[in-house]
Amino acid sequence: MKQNKSVWLGMFLLVGLLLAIGVSRSGSVQTQQDRIDSITSHLACPTCSGESVFVSRAAAAQAIRTEVARQVGAGTRTDDEIVSYIEQRFGGQVLLVPRATGLDSLVWSLPVAALIMSLWFLVRAFSRSRQNKPTAPSAQDEKLVEQALAESMTKLKRS
Amino acid sequence: MLASAGVAGTIGRALLLVGFVGAVFGAFAAITGVRNNEPRVIRLVSRFAVLAFAAAVGAFAVMEYAMITRDFSLAYVQKVGSWSTPPLYNFAAVWSALEGSILMWVLILSGYTLAVCFWMRKRMNESLAAWAMAVMMIVLAFFFLVSFFPANPFAAGAPGVLDGPGPNPLLQNHILVMFHPPILYLGYVGVTVPFAFAIAALVTGRVGEGWLLATRRWSLFAWGFLTFGIALGSWWSYEVLGWSGVWAWDPVENASLLPWITGTAYIHSVLVQERRGMLRVWNISLLVATFSLTILGTFLTRSGVLNSVHAFSESGIGAWFLSFFAVVLIVSVFLIGWRGDKLRSPGIIDSPLSREAAFLANNVLFAVFAFIVLLGTVFPLIIEALQNRQIAVGAPFFDRLTVPIGIALLTLMSIAPVLPWRKASAETLQTRLFWPAWCGIAALVASLALGAYGLAPLLTFTLGGVSSGAALRQVVLATRRQGLRGLVGRANGGMIVHLGVIMIAVALGASNSYSKSQELSLVTGTPAFFAGHSFELIDVIEVRDDRSISVKARVIVDRKKTYEPAITKYTRIGMNVGTPSVKASLTSDIYLTLEPPVRQDSGTARIKVFIKPMITWLWIGTGLMALGTVLAAFPGRRRRPTEATSALVPTSEQNAL
Repeated sequence: MKQNKSVWLGMFLLVGLLLAIGVSRSGSVQTQQDRIDSITSHLACPTCSGESVFVSRAAAAQAIRTEVARQVGAGTRTDDEIVSYIEQRFGGQVLLVPRATGLDSLVWSLPVAALIMSLWFLVRAFSRSRQNKPTAPSAQDEKLVEQALAESMTKLKRS
Repeated sequence: MLASAGVAGTIGRALLLVGFVGAVFGAFAAITGVRNNEPRVIRLVSRFAVLAFAAAVGAFAVMEYAMITRDFSLAYVQKVGSWSTPPLYNFAAVWSALEGSILMWVLILSGYTLAVCFWMRKRMNESLAAWAMAVMMIVLAFFFLVSFFPANPFAAGAPGVLDGPGPNPLLQNHILVMFHPPILYLGYVGVTVPFAFAIAALVTGRVGEGWLLATRRWSLFAWGFLTFGIALGSWWSYEVLGWSGVWAWDPVENASLLPWITGTAYIHSVLVQERRGMLRVWNISLLVATFSLTILGTFLTRSGVLNSVHAFSESGIGAWFLSFFAVVLIVSVFLIGWRGDKLRSPGIIDSPLSREAAFLANNVLFAVFAFIVLLGTVFPLIIEALQNRQIAVGAPFFDRLTVPIGIALLTLMSIAPVLPWRKASAETLQTRLFWPAWCGIAALVASLALGAYGLAPLLTFTLGGVSSGAALRQVVLATRRQGLRGLVGRANGGMIVHLGVIMIAVALGASNSYSKSQELSLVTGTPAFFAGHSFELIDVIEVRDDRSISVKARVIVDRKKTYEPAITKYTRIGMNVGTPSVKASLTSDIYLTLEPPVRQDSGTARIKVFIKPMITWLWIGTGLMALGTVLAAFPGRRRRPTEATSALVPTSEQNAL
């Protein structure tokens, strides 16, 4: 048993180590195209609500893609600056990700609240199960079991 | 021509009315028959089911006939019919807009009603079966009514129209449009059957496990088709839409995903009830949620309150679906409350380390998952209602919140299959998880060796390894004991479904994290290079037919395969549709799109290249899920009642089934 435990401990350490290597290792360098794709997938296509500029093939989305590509190519603005530039230039509902301020923040906080509530529910369900330790059978229970056993024995004998 | 046209509309409307009357009378016969215990009246139910089905088939056939003969006296044919649509797409044009898709819903629901009726023909005088039939008939009557009033496909159109635009160009350039909608609807509409039995169980008070066991295969059938239909939709999105993705978190996609989530939760938690008699209220609630989410989803996406690629034009259908949704919810909640005492479960969970506890955790995760998807889908409506401004909730939101849920579910899939019922000791767990854990480490090492990086994908691959180890362990043990019979049955088939799900999770993890893309300006004769591949433009050609003009760039990739991404202008609608060109392989797909503006014979073209790793495993995983579902539907090895593991589950009363 002890040996078993150390094997498991070793496995967890190994996984942790390997994950740390994988997380710290940098991925491929972000290209301009990656930047364009990441910015456009956070922008809403103005003529087709629900789709991002990255996804949509509509003409309006095409125009914004071209503009973002131009800005990224110029290389003077950061991602956030490009987004706010697009917001000014095209106006309206541009962001595809709700902000974390005001009423909009509910869309972020409610799922977290739901998760916490359901975890609490789980913990409660499990702790209740622990309190409910089976008690020793009463004399009456034993009598019932004996009765049932006797019945099935007679049935078996008959068949 | 015109005379016969008027006839088609009249016959169609008459058939819808006949179907409605049949369904109403069928429900009436079922209820009165079983309440007054009159077998003669009950026998009528199946006749009415036949009548309603025949009417639906007739109405659908009339619609197809009108579409095939281009009967432009009907407004619907004017909307989606055209002389220039090829026959196959013209056949599918019937379900390419709102009215026709509701008609298809009617057809499939009446088919289900008849099938259930046939299946229950010998037990129709049992109250549970009769009430279930009544519920199905009432739902069917509602849909006949919707098809007759707000979404009538047989409404007369403006006179003098001789040709129309045809269906949306996106719905006439890939063969999947023939299969994705009907298969999805088989699943979407199929959840009505277990829902009807749940309501019947509540009404009759027979809330034991009998109705669950009886409807097990129906639930599995509907779930399987829903899964398959959603996967076909993703495939279509990938092959047709040209943004190289499989899932856009579009409201209509979410509307199909929501019942899938609650349905998946149900087919897991139902096992707890069958085995231990627990979670009764929860299971009924899940079925009610699944069914009402199909209605709510239809409301959200078909009423015009939310727009999406799939959304058809606005119509008065919204009020109908919203009212029906409210009725379903109120009646169900009332019934559950009314039967509350009978639904109290006799068992409790003994230990957090048990299979039932794992199922409970699974359900909690799926519930949160469903909540996130629902919240994200309706949130723009809430903000608009409260503050009268428009916001959008798109893919980045859903991705950020659902990836952790997915990883948590994978963790559960790693542990749950090795857990015994009731209680597991730490030792059991350690022995049983030993090999799966090594599978996980192997997966992690392999993915690191292949150059993977980032926490979420690496966790996905590791947990994918552990969970496939856990699933394989079950399958191997079962086949070793029972030979090939070890592959069938719920537990074993379920593990094959798990393997498919794991493939899909790993494929999504890899393709979402490691896709590369680049726009290339190509000139004939000069190859361009990206990500180790060469791209050489041969020429840009134009192809015309009587509905469209298509400009294709022919590109040779790696001096081997010719790709033909195209932009097609549908002249009647005046819409440009890009068609990507994809060549798949087991490791990664190369996906080319042609970017506008483009001119034929110019010798230049701008293309966008996507390198998408592991996409093919999505489709293989889907196939495995379908296979596993079929295997799970077969009865597994029967437990002999003398076995200690087969203790009878106490039911609240002797169930007639």
